[in-house]
Amino acid sequence: MAIITISRGSFSHGAEVAERVAERLGYQCISREVLLDASERFHIPEMKLVQAIHDSPNILQRFQFGKQAYIAYIQWALAQRVRSGRAVYHGFAGHLLLPRIPHVLRVRILASMEQRVAAKMAQARISEREALAVINKDDEERRKWSKALYGVDPRDSSLYDLMIRLDRLTTNEAVELICLAASSPAFEVTEAARQRMDDLAKACEVKAWLLDQVGDIAVTCEFGNVLIYAKGGDKQAERIRKAISSPREELADLANIEIRTAGPIPDHAL
Amino acid sequence: MAEQLTFDMILVMIMIAVAVFLFVVEWIRVDVVAILMMVTLPLLGLVTPTQAFIGLSSNAVVSIIAVIIIGAGLDKTAVINRLTAPIVSFAGKSANRIIIFISLTVAFISSFMQNIGAAALVLPAIQRISKSLKIPIERLLMPIGFSAILGGTVTLVGSSPLILLNDLLIPFKLEPFGLFDVTPIGIALVASGIGCFILLGRFILPQGEGAGSVTESLETTAAEAPRVTGEMFELHTPETFTHYREPVTVDLLRRRYLVNVLGLTEPPDYKVLAPASAAVIRSDVDLLVYGRHSEVERLAAELELELKAEPQVFRDDVTESVSGVVEAVVAPRSPLIGKTLKQQDFSRRFGVTPLAIYRESDIYRAEIGDVLLKMGDGLVLQGPLERMQYLSEGRYLLFATPLDVERMHPEKALLAAFWLVLALTMVMGFHIQLSVSLMTGALGMIITRVLTIDEAYQSVDWRTIFLLGGLIPLGIATEKTGTAAWIAHAVLNATGVVPPIVLLTIIALLSTVFTLVISNVGATVLLVPLVVNMALAAHADPRMAALVVGLATSNSFILPTHQVNALYMGPGHYRSVDFMKAGILISIIFIVVTIGMIWLFYGVS
Repeated sequence: MAIITISRGSFSHGAEVAERVAERLGYQCISREVLLDASERFHIPEMKLVQAIHDSPNILQRFQFGKQAYIAYIQWALAQRVRSGRAVYHGFAGHLLLPRIPHVLRVRILASMEQRVAAKMAQARISEREALAVINKDDEERRKWSKALYGVDPRDSSLYDLMIRLDRLTTNEAVELICLAASSPAFEVTEAARQRMDDLAKACEVKAWLLDQVGDIAVTCEFGNVLIYAKGGDKQAERIRKAISSPREELADLANIEIRTAGPIPDHAL
Repeated sequence: MAEQLTFDMILVMIMIAVAVFLFVVEWIRVDVVAILMMVTLPLLGLVTPTQAFIGLSSNAVVSIIAVIIIGAGLDKTAVINRLTAPIVSFAGKSANRIIIFISLTVAFISSFMQNIGAAALVLPAIQRISKSLKIPIERLLMPIGFSAILGGTVTLVGSSPLILLNDLLIPFKLEPFGLFDVTPIGIALVASGIGCFILLGRFILPQGEGAGSVTESLETTAAEAPRVTGEMFELHTPETFTHYREPVTVDLLRRRYLVNVLGLTEPPDYKVLAPASAAVIRSDVDLLVYGRHSEVERLAAELELELKAEPQVFRDDVTESVSGVVEAVVAPRSPLIGKTLKQQDFSRRFGVTPLAIYRESDIYRAEIGDVLLKMGDGLVLQGPLERMQYLSEGRYLLFATPLDVERMHPEKALLAAFWLVLALTMVMGFHIQLSVSLMTGALGMIITRVLTIDEAYQSVDWRTIFLLGGLIPLGIATEKTGTAAWIAHAVLNATGVVPPIVLLTIIALLSTVFTLVISNVGATVLLVPLVVNMALAAHADPRMAALVVGLATSNSFILPTHQVNALYMGPGHYRSVDFMKAGILISIIFIVVTIGMIWLFYGVS
């Protein structure tokens, strides 16, 4: 009962592949729903969330945590959606938003530039040159976003379990390949995998809830034991302490919660 | 035949009055009162300088020194733990049942050997039980000490006065007593003493504030435990534990439940203390863990383990003199500053398990291996105290409490037991003097390195030694100046002709008063000839009169002057007032029961 994330450049038939995989496996297919959930839960206009996850942060935003907050909201919504497994997500940055979850099959769909330009021209009724410019700009934006927030290049093949080029393989064949990979024992949902998913959901929940009140933090969760890393030192830690001192729905099922002020923040922290 | 009252006699009576007064008001500590007597009596010329200090070399005092050393040796080798285990499992956690059980045991032992020996032997065991069951030691020691004294009346060899009794009857050509002639009275005395404490203990005993202990450093350690927010628990895995389950490791339990595994059994009967993180927990094994109660309960429920009411398999390993939970602070210029415990390979290097880190108001319990340590961080550590001692000697950590760690030698248990048995055999089998026999045992323990000579010296409680040693010259002065004889004559002459039972009661009262100040042997030697003559004159049974003296010279409960009371005063945190409160009641019961039993069994009316 794997979770499949399909990432792709624009106009690479990713959505089509995702829908057909979901249909074939009887999974839910998710994309924009995640943004809608986040928007509803945290009362943020959807547009702002789209910007947050699409546009790379500008100079000013790099020093603010607004973008991280929006991403935390989206990550929370995604974690909630895919918690029970059986899902194909083809929205933005799926391969990055579900870190360390063993039963996530990360797929990258690539189409040739000619195919993408053609698709864009057909959709927007623009010239080939304009279409190429739009796609290039879009790719560059994604790359910068990914670099700025996660320090990785989306073209790096080590981020994915499966990369499929659609210039010679058909979408049908791509769907076949993905379904075959998803049925591998490697993506079975074990107890440990389910625990990781639950922990991710909890960490997202705590982070999303706290960001607004206390500023930028990092959160880890293992077996329901939450560690909050206060990047802002002792003063921020004090604010966190105050925030978590009263009983909250977000803290309800946590086994333990601790605040760390000094020391390295683990790479896997949200 | 009564002597004239002399100036020396008056001086002695004044000194007795001063001593009793100081015992009561406690302007100075009781042992200092004793030293005061030791110094003042020769200055007043009431005893010779040699007599003044002869108490320090007396049989009783030397026996106490030896028996304390033997007790320390037994404690260090965990023999005491093994002996207390059956007592605790038999008596459970009820203080009353423990009092009854140990009191009966002590009374039985002391009916065959000197009661100070019996009392000193069980002292470490009582301290252990008090600590492990958190019963205030004040509630346990006095009833047990009194039982040791009362047990001396059960047979004719139970206490020195009774041993002497037959010899004292010889000049009067009276029929000697048999070994068990006193047994019915003795048993009645023991039973009424224990019964009195069980029924009225809460009114006559100080109730204490918590678990008593002798070693103050350990007391502080125990007091800190609540801050640590965890306790030790023992768990048992079912036989099906590893069936259909991913391997459960020590590390997993720590990460998942924040529960630290401190010990693990390995079939057939190995015990692994501080097991490695990767150690897998198997079926049908016992685990000693440290964690919050709720978390251990959750662990037990989720993994279907049996949570025991108290440690059983690891019982010896959790006693506070072997291992403990201690808080230490990261020292200035400590090599730990700026490093994590993981980087320093802390647990493996020092053989102790870090349980938590305190930083200001925060308690870190999860992933503490990754915390960058700062100066002043509090580390909560669990492990053998010997290891802690080693750590405290380095410059890594400052220990919040001075570690007065005893180095334990459980491997010497058999040797320790051997020396005890040898000493007891010498006393009971060969009738070698108690002090010589016990000192032989103590020396044996030192030579065979059960404990070092320094540890032996440290274990001796000087308060007890001087309290006893200082009161002995007071007894000598009372006898030597004829004060005791004068008082006895005066009292008995004033009595006139009374029914035998009244005469016996007066003799009992007189013996009781005498034994509080002068030694029980001295009182017996002095009083027996007197009372036999009195009884003959009053047509009462002279043997009964002598017997009352032999018994009532053990009726020494009101002041901490009896050896057993002196021994238990320090460890029990008792004051003279405590002895008076319980002692007056027990003394009255003693006299009533003795006279009642004589009336019942020997037909004196």
